[in-house]
Amino acid sequence: MRAKKIRRALLIVILLVLLVIVLVPLAWSIVLSFDRTALSSLPDFSLVPHEFSLFNYEVAFTSIPLVRYYLNTIFVTVVHTFLAVFFALMCGYAFAKGDFIGKKFWFIFMLAVMMLPFESRMVPLYLQYKSWGMLDTYAPLLIGACAYVYGIFFAKQNIEAIPDSLRESAYIDGASDWRIFLKIILPLSKPLIATLSILQVLSNWNSYLWPLVVLRSSEKQLISVGVSIFNSQQDAIYYGPRMAVAVISAIPLSLMFLFLQKYIVQSIAVSGIKQ
Amino acid sequence: MKNKQALKIKAKRQLVWYSFLIVSIVTLIVLTYIPMLQSVRYSFFDIQVVGFGEEKFVGLQNYEKIMNNASFLKSIGNTFILAFLSLVSIPVGFILATLINNIGKGKWQSFFRVGYYFPNIITGVSVVLIFQIVLKANGGLLNNALSFLTGQDVTIGWLSDSHFSRFGATILSVWGNMGYAMLINLASLQSIPGEIYEAAEVDGANGLKQWWYITIPQMKSCFAFLFITSMINGLARFTDLFIIGGNTSAGRPGGTLQTIMMYIYQFSFETPQYGIASAGAMILFVMTFVITLINLKMTGFFKKNKL
Repeated sequence: MRAKKIRRALLIVILLVLLVIVLVPLAWSIVLSFDRTALSSLPDFSLVPHEFSLFNYEVAFTSIPLVRYYLNTIFVTVVHTFLAVFFALMCGYAFAKGDFIGKKFWFIFMLAVMMLPFESRMVPLYLQYKSWGMLDTYAPLLIGACAYVYGIFFAKQNIEAIPDSLRESAYIDGASDWRIFLKIILPLSKPLIATLSILQVLSNWNSYLWPLVVLRSSEKQLISVGVSIFNSQQDAIYYGPRMAVAVISAIPLSLMFLFLQKYIVQSIAVSGIKQ
Repeated sequence: MKNKQALKIKAKRQLVWYSFLIVSIVTLIVLTYIPMLQSVRYSFFDIQVVGFGEEKFVGLQNYEKIMNNASFLKSIGNTFILAFLSLVSIPVGFILATLINNIGKGKWQSFFRVGYYFPNIITGVSVVLIFQIVLKANGGLLNNALSFLTGQDVTIGWLSDSHFSRFGATILSVWGNMGYAMLINLASLQSIPGEIYEAAEVDGANGLKQWWYITIPQMKSCFAFLFITSMINGLARFTDLFIIGGNTSAGRPGGTLQTIMMYIYQFSFETPQYGIASAGAMILFVMTFVITLINLKMTGFFKKNKL
């Protein structure tokens, strides 16, 4: 018994040491972001700034419209998540409980999309939006949300588990399928909605390639692309401000993770999807 | 009369169900299937700039061109080398999961689960910015640590020296992905029924034997899943390497980090030749398709969903 306890304590110590090593880069970048001396040369490693100051953050906020990028990203993330989750549940409900001609066909039609990577149809999609005059607007970033294929699949599986008896009694009371969907299925699907929303927020906040391709004007940029452009312009020096920007752009997801860690870890483990 | 009424109701029910689906169906047709077919079509045409000049059908010439193009072949090589190197995150994640699992359920376990997963949350641009400094040749954290350990002055340009850049890029991706691998491994470890171990204990199998004869075989499908998702992500790798190259798709340093996706980007947006880009996209598609198909088959997806 005692040997077991010692072994467990030893394991915990090993894991703690490893975790510190893993997280040191993050800690150092935060330290650098507050260090006035981290400008044209990289200061030695330290756990506290050599000369504490908010200078780097001032530089970051005055060099690029960070607040603007933030608001843009929040707007796109919220709208995209809402559309994606809502339409995924609608389709999921129809596939789980519906009885209509062509059900199997449309289900395969949707799932097959999982095998068509976005990257392999990016160019025609770009040209399509170009001919519609929608480049440099948020439309290309948002319209695609109306068909969130992974979400549809998960929604179908989850809604299938809701017992039919609830629907049947609602039918007898004369409720339509839309009413049942809005009043019964949606309220019962809160965990599903949470999981899908978390996955959506994670992937939207970090999306990069597509916004890079479709957005041109700098004031419309999302935080990911905006920050990387700033980074490439400051190549080689400006360590402190670059770290300040990195910290700022990582804050929202970190905060979300801090508060929702249990749900997030659960969502990832259940779905197997990493952003 | 009655029949007609019943038919009408039936038809209406059909419409109601389709009203749930129609938006997504149209979206997929317009934004997925049509562009995909366009992509196939473009790959057989000589198109420089769409709308200007003729679109000339050239058959397989685009494919011939890129399959003989040294930089495309190099980008395929780079992509696979990087994808395979990134697989390191799977054993790392497995070891972490084993250690975390061994301390038993409770506060510490949840703490480590969350702690090790944290880097995965901030993947994206921030991580690249941070690792550009961590992996810097002079004064970078890794070189400092190596200098300290070896007692010599180590100045390896992990992201700037073309001999080391692939390792540098791998350190970055393993750091970002091991938490995910750990999480999936842990979930899988904890789903192995305890009775198997109890039976083995009765039979006198020691810890190492149990690990080798029970744990590893039980984890096979988990490893396969991680292998495949890691490969699929690896094939489409773009963002971090694009940023490391200073927001260009050249795959700096020295083209060692140009992936297929970056090659496609180059011929789509930097020096547009849509025919070439689409042929590249088709090759990427076929590779991803094959891997996905293997994945679905292996996980019994078709059986489970009666497809």
